[in-house]
Amino acid sequence: MIQAAWICLFAPLAGAFAITVMGDSITRRTAAWLSTVSVFVAFAGAVVTFVELLGRSAEEREKLSTAWTWLSTGTFEVGMTLLVDPLSVTMMLIVSGVGGLIVLYSIGYMDGDPEERRYFAYMSFFVFAMLLLVQAGNFLLLLVGWGLVGLASYLLIGFWHEREEAVAAAKKAFIMNAVGDATMALAFFVLIWQTGTLEFAGAFAGAGGMSSTLVNLVALGLLGGAIAKSAQIPLHTWLPDAMEGPTPVSALIHAATMVTAGVYLIVRAHPLFELAPTVQDLAAGLGALTLVVAGLVALVQTDIKRVIAYSTMSQIGYMFVGVGVGAYANGMFHLMTHAFFKALLFMAAGLVIHHLAGQQDIRQMGGLRHVMPKTTVAFLVGSLALVGIPPLSGFFSKDSILASALASGGYGVVLFLAGLLGALLTGIYTFRLFFTVFLGQPSKLVREQAHGHSEGAWTMTLPVAVLTVLAVIGGWVQIPDVWHPFGDWLHEVAEPLVEPSVTQDLLASALAVGLGLLGIGIAWLLFGARTREVPRVQAARQALEHKLYFDELYDGVFYRPAVWMAGMWRRTIEGPLIGGSIAGVTLGARRAGGALGETQTGYLRSYALAIAGAAAILVVVFLAVQ
Amino acid sequence: MTPLTPLAALSGPDVAWYLIVAAILFSIGTLGVLVRRSPLIVLLSLEIMLNAANLALISFARLHGGHDGQIFALAVMAVAASEVVVGLGLIVAMSRRRLTLDVDSFRLLKG
Repeated sequence: MIQAAWICLFAPLAGAFAITVMGDSITRRTAAWLSTVSVFVAFAGAVVTFVELLGRSAEEREKLSTAWTWLSTGTFEVGMTLLVDPLSVTMMLIVSGVGGLIVLYSIGYMDGDPEERRYFAYMSFFVFAMLLLVQAGNFLLLLVGWGLVGLASYLLIGFWHEREEAVAAAKKAFIMNAVGDATMALAFFVLIWQTGTLEFAGAFAGAGGMSSTLVNLVALGLLGGAIAKSAQIPLHTWLPDAMEGPTPVSALIHAATMVTAGVYLIVRAHPLFELAPTVQDLAAGLGALTLVVAGLVALVQTDIKRVIAYSTMSQIGYMFVGVGVGAYANGMFHLMTHAFFKALLFMAAGLVIHHLAGQQDIRQMGGLRHVMPKTTVAFLVGSLALVGIPPLSGFFSKDSILASALASGGYGVVLFLAGLLGALLTGIYTFRLFFTVFLGQPSKLVREQAHGHSEGAWTMTLPVAVLTVLAVIGGWVQIPDVWHPFGDWLHEVAEPLVEPSVTQDLLASALAVGLGLLGIGIAWLLFGARTREVPRVQAARQALEHKLYFDELYDGVFYRPAVWMAGMWRRTIEGPLIGGSIAGVTLGARRAGGALGETQTGYLRSYALAIAGAAAILVVVFLAVQ
Repeated sequence: MTPLTPLAALSGPDVAWYLIVAAILFSIGTLGVLVRRSPLIVLLSLEIMLNAANLALISFARLHGGHDGQIFALAVMAVAASEVVVGLGLIVAMSRRRLTLDVDSFRLLKG
């Protein structure tokens, strides 16, 4: 079983390595297939591991496998250790399964790009890094995976490196993630200091004996990493810009897998968060704030991918609420269904963008229903799942989170209300997008591009079809109060802190579905049937179009002061002091050299005289000393 | 090989006289090196200095009755001979090229 897990981890790395090494000696198409196959091999490994785990009793599903000792200093030791348990297997299946479909989709999407091989090498590398993150058997290895997915994300956002915005977006993502990586590293230092280990079990056991301040610091550090990676307020501004990357990248990294790593981290480290309930509440609060703010901003965005990106932030906000109130399985459940329907939405959007020769502005679109009927169905399914309409997957997972928030009472009710507001917003922005892009009369651009070609190559349409099915049925593995294999599966790893009653489940579902439908209705009035004017509240609109001024705020608080300070140091310290002193030293050396050079006359006799004179002086000195 | 027998103690003038002669020769040589401009004479003066040193070495050897000074004097002579070969060779090369035989005109190596 454990061999399958190792194969799952290293197959994509082997793929990336092979593509890199072989370079020009293989065709672009071969490189693409190599990458796809390597990820599907990983998926096969994950499935084998999953089946083996299923065959065991719940207590025996955790297995650690150490290949070698990686670091050893004194008593502190870190191994190249993989952890296989229900949680990591769930993530392995999502990452390699959805990842495989998206890489397959990329074959069609990236067809003809001059640097296709580099793209596929990066994609395989990303899958490896993400698998390392979820399979890591200790915190240090997890941090390695954490950093590598950040690198892969950076490389892929900036894949079209001739576009200035893409390069800027890549740097922004990398730097904001570095903030989170740093807080995580600090948390690990505290753990090493206090518990002497980074093994999960040892660290959790040792954390019990730490002072509450230190536990809070550790949890806060981990939360910092989680919100940076998962694009939660206040470290969220990189995600919308990351849409500069190719669309499959957005689907894989910035929707289905990497951005949900924060949720995984909180579930994985839940014993630490439970020791620091304030920080766990903070995680839920930030999630609730993000899900509302992102929902609001998504209302006015005009770039099809950015709308979906804000929706991703908003949905991850739900997951944070879920794991923040202690409903770990529900958070992971939403992570899974979200991976299905969000990847579906991105890839359907990718089909649209591909069809319209790269246009991403929804104001240029309209009436695509007539030219892309199948894509319309796929997008509709994704949208309905996103809004949480039964019986699609989003309904089960989102409502279970809301019910858990309600069940945790007090503070939880506030989170619950925020979640309901989010459900309403989700309905509006999702169907604003759907109605604008697919319904109505074909726009000028759509008519120009509608020259009868198909909706996409089979490599593109097949993954979309598979994900459409998954987006429909993905939620059926967990129906509250009826059957809950998913919850039981994760129960041993992360026991939930709350257990909603039947009434709470029903209430949450009824309200969320009602508000979602209301949102769709509002969107229909404003953007579908267009019977009502969009309300014109200029100030609010402007604030939302500027994404609530977060970019401007960070620009003013961090960027400008840093630039100003650097300039000031340059003028006051660097120039006169450091530069000046160096100039002084060189000038002195130059002058001294010139003066000494004068003594080198070139006359033989002056040298001879100097030698004779020196010898005479030495003789006198010797005599005098004696 | 049997070790050399120590030489008999010096008879004749006191060692100071030899040293005075050596010092005078050395000064003459030094002066020649310093003031003369013809390379040939400079070389000659150098030889005088070396021989002054040789004289002092041999004097002391006789004074102390050892052999070291004498052997060293032989080594100095060998070096002097080689030096003359190189020096004269240079001078001949200079005259072949019709360069001025004046050490003051060779002063490219200066600061």
